[in-house]
Amino acid sequence: MKIKLPLTLALTVVATAAFSGQVEEQIRFRQSAYSYLSWNTGKIKSQVVDHPETFNKDQIVAAANAIAAVANSGLINLYGTGTDQGIGWKQSRLRPEFFQKQDEAKELDATFIKEANELAKVAATGDAAAIKTQFGKVGASCKSCHDLIRIRE
Amino acid sequence: MKVTVHIWDWPLRLFHWLLVAAVVAAYTTGKLGGEFTDWHGRIGALILGLLIFRILWGFVGTTHARFASFFPTFGRLIAYLKGDWHGVGHNPIGALSVIALLTVLATLVVTGLFANDDIAFEGPLFSLVDKSLSDKLSGLHALALDVLMVLLALHLAAIAFHRLVKKNNLVIPMLTGKKQVPKALASSIPSVGLLRFLGAAVISSTLAWGIWNGGAADYFIPVSSLQTAALKLGW
Repeated sequence: MKIKLPLTLALTVVATAAFSGQVEEQIRFRQSAYSYLSWNTGKIKSQVVDHPETFNKDQIVAAANAIAAVANSGLINLYGTGTDQGIGWKQSRLRPEFFQKQDEAKELDATFIKEANELAKVAATGDAAAIKTQFGKVGASCKSCHDLIRIRE
Repeated sequence: MKVTVHIWDWPLRLFHWLLVAAVVAAYTTGKLGGEFTDWHGRIGALILGLLIFRILWGFVGTTHARFASFFPTFGRLIAYLKGDWHGVGHNPIGALSVIALLTVLATLVVTGLFANDDIAFEGPLFSLVDKSLSDKLSGLHALALDVLMVLLALHLAAIAFHRLVKKNNLVIPMLTGKKQVPKALASSIPSVGLLRFLGAAVISSTLAWGIWNGGAADYFIPVSSLQTAALKLGW
């Protein structure tokens, strides 16, 4: 009997760790996710905004789908307790205040997901002007979260 | 006995109000982000041109536009605080404000040229520096904005103070160029030399345009040595 409680606790800890990973692992995963996002946003920016003559619908659709997939992957689960302090690929820039602002951050995450899904939809139409506008909305949702929870360099 | 004289030449006034409009636009587009971020960059290029123009005009403009005429030296500041300063252009405290505002705006513009937002914006000179240095400069850009907000609050507070306490309207002269001054100080500025204005305008817009297009990158050899210095400082 006596062993049950500690055992349950231990199993819970192991299960949680397996689900969301250790602190460093969470930071590394989320840094990788944002880095991968930037490859895709960079492609859209280049082909839709900076060099429209290079517009390639297949690449834009692929990039928009990748962004939507990352957005829908549950990034918010990589912001576990203690992940404001720690080194993933590099030192995390998460503000410690994040943990008091989780509700707000969740709302911003939901906006990001909504705008990213919309971008994937718009990309499928191949309408460059509409993609540009919707891409701007995705970027604004990125920024709103940066402004809220990211430490300035 | 007061008389009306010209104190601010028209290029100076044009500069001032264009700068006001550009700073408001830069602030708004910067806060909105998204699609407006590219406009933020373009407005930054406009501000760069305006600042270069103001620096040139500080040497070739009319009387009170020149830095030498109003530079807030220690002696001038002491004299002003003692009540011994008599002039009609920028008073020494106002001159401090001018220098501070120009310095902070220049910091914003220069850091912005190298900045990135980790979303979809890179300044026109981003490729000249490492990503990590660009990140630092982007942070400095945000910090300089905080300083600018404080300076602008002081600027507006000083205008309100002169209006309400000293019964001295500073806004109308910046619009019309004209001010009522004691007869003893009455001397109007000379008319604007059109060639000087054109020269300053052409030089500043050419430089700003060139830098904005990254075309100046080839001439910016010192940037790489700045970067080495920054790395040595542990930045």
